[in-house]
Amino acid sequence: MDQKQNILRQPAELLYAHELSALKASDKGERPEGWQLSPRAVLTFITGGRAGDVDITPKYIGHTRLVEIAIATLLTDRALLLIGEPGTAKSWLSENLTAAIHGDSSKVIQGTAGTTEEQVRYSWNYAMLLANGPSEEALVKSPIYRAMETGGISRFEEISRCASEVQDALISILSEKTISVPELGKDMPAARGFSIIATANTRDRGVNDMSAALKRRFNIVVLPAPSDLETEVTIVRKRVSEIAANYRLGSAVPEEEAVRKVVTIFRELRSGMTVDGKEKLKQPSGAISTAEAISLLINSMALASSFGDGQVAEEDLAAGLLGAVVKDEAKDDTVWKEYLENVMKKRGADWRGLYRACRELNS
Amino acid sequence: MSTAAAATSGVQLFGVRHLSPTGAIHLRTFLDIVQPQLVLVEGPSDATDLISQMTLSGVKPPIAILAYTEQLPIQTVVFPLAEYSPEYQAFVWAAKHGVEARFIDLPSPVSISLRASRRAIQDHNEAGDAAQQHYHHINERYERVAELAGEPDYEAYWERCFEHMDEPGAYRQAIHAFSREMRELSESEERLHTPYEAAHNDIREAYMRMSIAKALEEGIAAEKIVVVTGAYHVSALGADMAPMSDKEAASLPSIGTKLTLMPYSYYKLSSHSGYGAGNPAPAYFELAWRCLQSGDRGKLSSLYLASIAGQMRDSGTYRSAASVIEAVRLADALASMHGGQQPILKDLRDAAVTCLGDGELSVVADALVRTDIGTAIGALPEGVSQTPIQDDLNRNLKMLKLEKYKTTVTTDLALDLRENRRVKSEEAAFLDLRRSFFLERLQLLQISFAKKGSVRQDGATWAENWVLRWTPEAEIEIVESIMKGETIELAASFCIKESLEKSANIVEAAALVKAAWQCGLPTSMEDARRTLQQLAVEAGDYSQISAALRELSILVQFGDVRKMDTAVLIPLLQQLFLRGTLLLVDSAVCSDDAATSMAAAIIDMHTVSQQHYDLVDDERWQQQLEQLAYRDDRNAKLSGLAFALLLERNKIENERLAGEVSRRLSPGIPADIGAGWFEGLSLRNRYVLLSRRQLWEQLDLYLQSLDEEQFRRSLVFLRRAFASFEAREKNAIAELLGELWGLGVDEVADVLQRELSTEEQQKLDELNEFDFGDL
Repeated sequence: MDQKQNILRQPAELLYAHELSALKASDKGERPEGWQLSPRAVLTFITGGRAGDVDITPKYIGHTRLVEIAIATLLTDRALLLIGEPGTAKSWLSENLTAAIHGDSSKVIQGTAGTTEEQVRYSWNYAMLLANGPSEEALVKSPIYRAMETGGISRFEEISRCASEVQDALISILSEKTISVPELGKDMPAARGFSIIATANTRDRGVNDMSAALKRRFNIVVLPAPSDLETEVTIVRKRVSEIAANYRLGSAVPEEEAVRKVVTIFRELRSGMTVDGKEKLKQPSGAISTAEAISLLINSMALASSFGDGQVAEEDLAAGLLGAVVKDEAKDDTVWKEYLENVMKKRGADWRGLYRACRELNS
Repeated sequence: MSTAAAATSGVQLFGVRHLSPTGAIHLRTFLDIVQPQLVLVEGPSDATDLISQMTLSGVKPPIAILAYTEQLPIQTVVFPLAEYSPEYQAFVWAAKHGVEARFIDLPSPVSISLRASRRAIQDHNEAGDAAQQHYHHINERYERVAELAGEPDYEAYWERCFEHMDEPGAYRQAIHAFSREMRELSESEERLHTPYEAAHNDIREAYMRMSIAKALEEGIAAEKIVVVTGAYHVSALGADMAPMSDKEAASLPSIGTKLTLMPYSYYKLSSHSGYGAGNPAPAYFELAWRCLQSGDRGKLSSLYLASIAGQMRDSGTYRSAASVIEAVRLADALASMHGGQQPILKDLRDAAVTCLGDGELSVVADALVRTDIGTAIGALPEGVSQTPIQDDLNRNLKMLKLEKYKTTVTTDLALDLRENRRVKSEEAAFLDLRRSFFLERLQLLQISFAKKGSVRQDGATWAENWVLRWTPEAEIEIVESIMKGETIELAASFCIKESLEKSANIVEAAALVKAAWQCGLPTSMEDARRTLQQLAVEAGDYSQISAALRELSILVQFGDVRKMDTAVLIPLLQQLFLRGTLLLVDSAVCSDDAATSMAAAIIDMHTVSQQHYDLVDDERWQQQLEQLAYRDDRNAKLSGLAFALLLERNKIENERLAGEVSRRLSPGIPADIGAGWFEGLSLRNRYVLLSRRQLWEQLDLYLQSLDEEQFRRSLVFLRRAFASFEAREKNAIAELLGELWGLGVDEVADVLQRELSTEEQQKLDELNEFDFGDL
């Protein structure tokens, strides 16, 4: 238990262990082979509800139907591909789905430009390979390999960051549902329940576009930005308090008013329009996602607890806002300044403090 | 329901949701079991005579019964039926088994007049708001039921729970129970918030009970009567409530109506557009109906998704059969998550988006619309009850080979009005011309089937582009035109006649002459001509005269294209032209504001004088122009224009030009007159002006002679005059002036090309800010 407390970031299955066990206990639905919960219970775990007398916190808020489609996809033993702007909770959803269905979200391949085909399939412990020749012991199994053995779900993060030939290694795995190891003269067929959840970033479109053959093997679910202000405020507040508890930050969780302001600014800059739809705005070059709003607030909490009085002040928010919006100095700087003068300044007394703090930093 | 033996007890009630395929199939089974001797259906009872016609071979649903008032303003009520409407299937069953079918609801004269009075009441007080709130509340309740069942909306709930119910008996009981309970929940609120609607509903139900009671009185056994109504009414048609008495029925308000059948479209049925009784995906429900008929509901998902893939392939996006299989599997999985046996439309759509659209709705949106709603329209064979004008329309469409354009898809039709010399018969040779007449008539009657598009070739009077699109609204508009005449041609003539009586000036009358000419109605054209002639006697407004002349001139010039004799218009043209000529000099006394429209009128007159120099008194026109040109007491701009027109026709020698220019632009002449004259002069052919160097010398001298204040005033006019010059022409003027001032061509060009210095820019800005308002 102590060890668990010391982990910087716990995987979903540990973080929500009590919810999962409550769901398991109360789950009366039929469980597909290889699943630890029924599809209905998985949906409850993700979108919130009750299991016996335990409250299940919602993990993904706003688009229940998309979660249903994602779960139904895994039911049909198809692979799932989550696509979205940066910070639309793709990885978060993938982790929680895996935790709920399979109970182990740690079988992850992180796609990068340097990911090789061995990391997708298997590689060798070369010392043992040279000493004893090919053997089961010398085999280093990839997360996908391990998932196939146990009938679990493997996650493939940022698949579109990988080179195309590495991506295409998945084609045979997804259609044949087996990995062959010619060195050992054996095939490794996937156990029931095996699947892959991949995530890809729309901002990476065109970098390493997925081949049509591979795309066809996935069911694709596009995750949108939160549909309205209220939903986004709810999401941000919930995640902020969760993370704050995890990081043991010494400051109070920001007031709803502060969260609302940050989310409003983010939504307006993201959509290029004021919330009331009356004014058009310039958009900054980078993506300003819900996830960034969360990290911004966490950041300002850290600032407040370390250097302030433990209350998130407007100066703490201002510093974070500047950093989040202005990513490309030359262009975004004017976008932010215009926003301050044209929108924020005119918002009235409630916004005065934040406006002043932002302006001070800017000058 | 109740044990009290009353007038309507014992009849077999079958509650339905309108436009529900499952309801239709279960109703059919129910009828097979009961074998009734009489089928009663909720619908306007005066339309009973139409029932037998609706099931004739050649009738292709969707169709609608249209009731319309005989008096203006025409009010209509539409009762649409798809093939999968339970009501329609009841008729089909009745026809097949030789059983009588009747409508039992309020007859259309009553329902239309009741509706009108209800609306009048609601418009006049706050009842409207309360009603809105009430409906909102009711909707919320239905949505809440859906939410409790874990469905995203009521439509999904209905489909999952009722459309997928395979057991006929269970279906009937379930829908009755559901409707009764929902009704009990809302009935008292309804009486409170929408008393008029509730009262109307009471009247309808009492009337329906009366119709049922009458059938029983005829001696038909109660258990051999099947009553098909909306499920909502089932609990009110039971035995415990009194039917309407004959006396009460006779006291209902009534307005004269007529009934007709009309083809309807799936697009209209889909709830995208008005008339209430719609369902969101008619083509999808038809697919479901076909599957149910073949006894294999399970086929629906693959059929639906395959047809989406097919649509996508047709429009160039390839989707494999493997993807369709995956989509079907996903839809099944989605359905099973909701405890359903079968995917509903929402599951299928989501599966299509995920598997066929790569997660993006936009990729499949077009295919979805085509598969959900479709473009199907109904058809009625000849001889089925229609208004004479509908028959006439269909006859015309057939005769003019326009039948294939009767679709809900917008189609373009290009016409060439000239004789087609490659065909033998006279009829075929002028097919396009007759089509044009016909379409013009429809347009005149404001029937939205035909809209005239723009012609690309300028002035090609023999080419026409039409945009055709059939909609149920168009059909309704046609029926409404019956008030104007029994055929399209008669209605169009009537329409012109009506407008003629209202037309107050020669422009309107001339437009009607043209309309009659376009519609190929010689008699109406003659009527319009006579009206125009009468009005012309009094006409004195210069712009009206010229506008009427412009229309007439086109008719006289191109009348031939439409094979209409427009020579009768020539005397009128001459008469009006003479009027215009004689009025010219007098009308030219006007303010600068009025001068703009007057100038346009003069230019029109001049065009007519040149186009018809052999018909009109061109000589007199020139004389009048000359008079205007040299008069100093008329609007200077118009004098300038008259001068330019004469110059253009080479009626002015060089010396005369020099003299006139120096006279008009001599020092001492106020700026608004001098520069105003120049403005008028520059309205016409600029090349003529550019070639007269003397003119520019004179203008230069004149401007130099003005003092500061006068110069500023003249700028207003000069700016306006030069505003319409093209850049090329402005350059030419600059070079010309440069030459006058002793600068070389190259130097001037150089100055013109150079960017403005800040100082110059500032000066120009100052000019822009100069307040011209007081001038």
